[in-house]
Amino acid sequence: MFKYIIRRTALMIVMLFVLSIVTFVLFNAVPTDPAALTCGKSCSPAIIEANRVRLGLDQPLYIQYLEWIKGIFVGRTYGSGSQTFNCDTPCLGYSFRNGEEVTDMIVRAVPVTFYLAIGAFTLWMLVGITSGIYAAKKRGQWQDRTIMGITLVGYSLPVFFVGLLLLIFVVVRWNLLPYPDYYSPTKDPLAFFQTMLLPWVALAILYAAYYTRLTRTQMLETLGEDYIRTARAKGLPEKIVVRKHAFRAGLTPIVTSAGLDLAGLLGGAVITEYIFSLPGMGRLAIGAVVEYDLPTITAATMVAAVFVIIANLVVDLLYMAIDPRVRL
Amino acid sequence: MKKSTSIRFGVGVVSLALVLTACGGSKSDGASAGTKGGTLTFLTEAEQFAHLDPQRNYTGEDLAFASGYLNRTLTQYTLSADNNEASKLVADLATDTGTTPDGGKTWEFTIKDGVKWEDGQAVTCEDVKYGVSRTFATDIITDGPTYAITMLDIAKDADGNSIYKGPYVEDATGQAAYDAAVVCEGSKITFKLAAPVADFNYTVTLSAFAPVRKDADTGEKYDDKVLSNGPYKIESYVKKDKLVLVRNENWDPATDSFRTALPDRIEYNFAVPSAVITERLMADAGNDVYAISPDSVDPAKLASIFSDAKYEKRRWNELDPYVRFFFINTKKVPNEKHRQAILAAVNREELRKIAGGDYAGEYADGAIKPNIGIDYAPTGLWDSLLGEAVPATGNVELAKKLIADSGEEFPNPLVIDYPKTEVNDKAVASLVAALGEAGITATPNGLEPGGYYPIVMDPAKQGGMTSAGWAPDWLNASTVIPELFHPNGGFALTQYDDAAWMARVDAAKAMTDRAAQAKEWQALNTEAARLGLILPTRFGLEQRIAGSKVTGAYIWGPYGSWPYATLGVNAQ
Repeated sequence: MFKYIIRRTALMIVMLFVLSIVTFVLFNAVPTDPAALTCGKSCSPAIIEANRVRLGLDQPLYIQYLEWIKGIFVGRTYGSGSQTFNCDTPCLGYSFRNGEEVTDMIVRAVPVTFYLAIGAFTLWMLVGITSGIYAAKKRGQWQDRTIMGITLVGYSLPVFFVGLLLLIFVVVRWNLLPYPDYYSPTKDPLAFFQTMLLPWVALAILYAAYYTRLTRTQMLETLGEDYIRTARAKGLPEKIVVRKHAFRAGLTPIVTSAGLDLAGLLGGAVITEYIFSLPGMGRLAIGAVVEYDLPTITAATMVAAVFVIIANLVVDLLYMAIDPRVRL
Repeated sequence: MKKSTSIRFGVGVVSLALVLTACGGSKSDGASAGTKGGTLTFLTEAEQFAHLDPQRNYTGEDLAFASGYLNRTLTQYTLSADNNEASKLVADLATDTGTTPDGGKTWEFTIKDGVKWEDGQAVTCEDVKYGVSRTFATDIITDGPTYAITMLDIAKDADGNSIYKGPYVEDATGQAAYDAAVVCEGSKITFKLAAPVADFNYTVTLSAFAPVRKDADTGEKYDDKVLSNGPYKIESYVKKDKLVLVRNENWDPATDSFRTALPDRIEYNFAVPSAVITERLMADAGNDVYAISPDSVDPAKLASIFSDAKYEKRRWNELDPYVRFFFINTKKVPNEKHRQAILAAVNREELRKIAGGDYAGEYADGAIKPNIGIDYAPTGLWDSLLGEAVPATGNVELAKKLIADSGEEFPNPLVIDYPKTEVNDKAVASLVAALGEAGITATPNGLEPGGYYPIVMDPAKQGGMTSAGWAPDWLNASTVIPELFHPNGGFALTQYDDAAWMARVDAAKAMTDRAAQAKEWQALNTEAARLGLILPTRFGLEQRIAGSKVTGAYIWGPYGSWPYATLGVNAQ
């Protein structure tokens, strides 16, 4: 397994390298002139040209790329004369739209999205798997139908609708919670929990519905297998049959989906972050797109890609833990 | 100032009760005196301030915010809900509102004693001089107004750029030229201008003329942590999250008659969705009673707010500072009657409906807006200026007649430049259809909004009509008529260079008799409308709401903003 991890890590680095080229070229080859966006009404051609030089946009694209890569490993210097400033390692670029180093922006945004994603993930996995198993066990009965009905509604409700509904009623109208105002959990755990509760619920409703249906389907499939019948015939308690034999066998597709869903969320839950004013990766990325902030867009894309690649690796490792037949 | 695509929009004061009534809104009285203390909360959908660096700040609402709390300027406007009163200057950092010994060519201001930076050091004349010099570093200090460059008596190079490149470039010649144009003698600062500017003491209300201390200047990054000389200082500023201001213990109220500095703490929350802001302010629950927003009310809630008496004391529906219009390029449409035909043909009622109906604004009749004060008078554009009345739905027959009377074919096709958005697409489609009825073939040219102005400001790329908006930089039409209609103006996309016209505009700009100057601006505005230099469409309106325990709230005319310097909260 150790060899496998080494091999996958090496492959991951190659993938990130290729991805960095594609991302950089893609975003920097757009027809918009970033230099022209650096100044307002008084944007004379001379100023645009001066800013093009200052941003390094006068260099060929491959030089710009190499400078960017260099910045990640050894940092880089921006500006000239008395206004030179350093962007420390790992320098993901400098956002001239925000007047800030992109790394600082990412470092600030990632924990917010991380807590949002992990909290919602835990919630939806607990609710989704539990209710999925329960529905499968009660197949065809009113409990199953009720759960499936609820999941159909939950799955149909978009996050922006659920989020706004929760915010307007729970916070604004009923005052059951204070308005979301993000604090780090280490700084103010209560405020953190109060802020994150609704975003977690809003995100979890949609995903829990999906995981309930997925778990139910997997469980129904495995519960109908011959070896389950054999297990029951041997007199194993139903709890053991369900947990150790049926659920474990049906877990693989759930783990695959969960890994990718979690990774996707870590890249930024745009709508949820927007509705609940959470300064996470989603907001950062969407703000950068609106403002044509190319260094930030590029960095946000790369960070999201890292999460997806790592999640894939973790999922592969989990396969082995779930199914002993899998040898990596 | 700011073109209408700025990050924020302000709201202007309507001095005429009739206009207000017509707007369907009610004048709120939210100007009750507040008490000292408490936390004032701002809610905005914006992700950050466009700029807090005084030399880069060029958006009405942000200028009002920064001047109210962080940056003192040589002069300021009076804090009053009455627009004419608000247009009067008061001394701020200077001991008086400035003197000119030679009809506006030289201006002198004396810095008050006892004004300090947040670290306790005195604000000096040299700090003001250094602050102004930063405007010249146009590659680093971007987005701000450039009046220092255009007005100060500093030579230009062959390309027409100032030979002084700002404080970050070591160049003895440029520095000497700047030192000769801006002189400090003790606490007296003297500005020597290239040409007389009768209202230069209004110009210095802009924070581009505010002090910055050389040893605190971090260039590009000064935006994030400005050194305050106002009543508050920045405790923390996290973009996309929150700005927190706390009291600046080195601010001496004895030196400041402008700011009341009532709240102990100011929290400015970014990135709150517009719909949520409106819901929270309408609900007025919990700490939101102390909240206020610089943003417009969510359009979906306009009817609820303006039809319910319970919001009467805390809602506003007033003119913003912007006039929305289309430039008509006189190089592409040189015949005056052709330009008038465009004006006559357009269905302005439909354009207003597309923009949002009654709440979007009033029909405009020129480039100067009523909330500027004495420089506005109705032009009569739609009554008789084009020969006969033009209803809001347009007068196609008159348009055809004007084209026929011109004795020339209309120079088809007429290209219409506009920033491409869903609303603008519909508006321009309406325009194209209306012009088509008059025999004018118009071609829409929707451009990417982010790169719109750099394109249309290139005469080689500009079309026959160009969508735009404009707000005055200070309360004098000297920041409207010359800027829009004189070739030397910063936004003269009408490309009109008639010699007699230019001489008349220049003469008006140099007038020191304010009343006579106002009459001349009114006349020039009427003439510009008659000449068809622009197609004025709307005097924009904006709607706002505040929490019930916010005090001193009204729309302050100079920036079409809240009067930040006097906002407070009632007993927390």
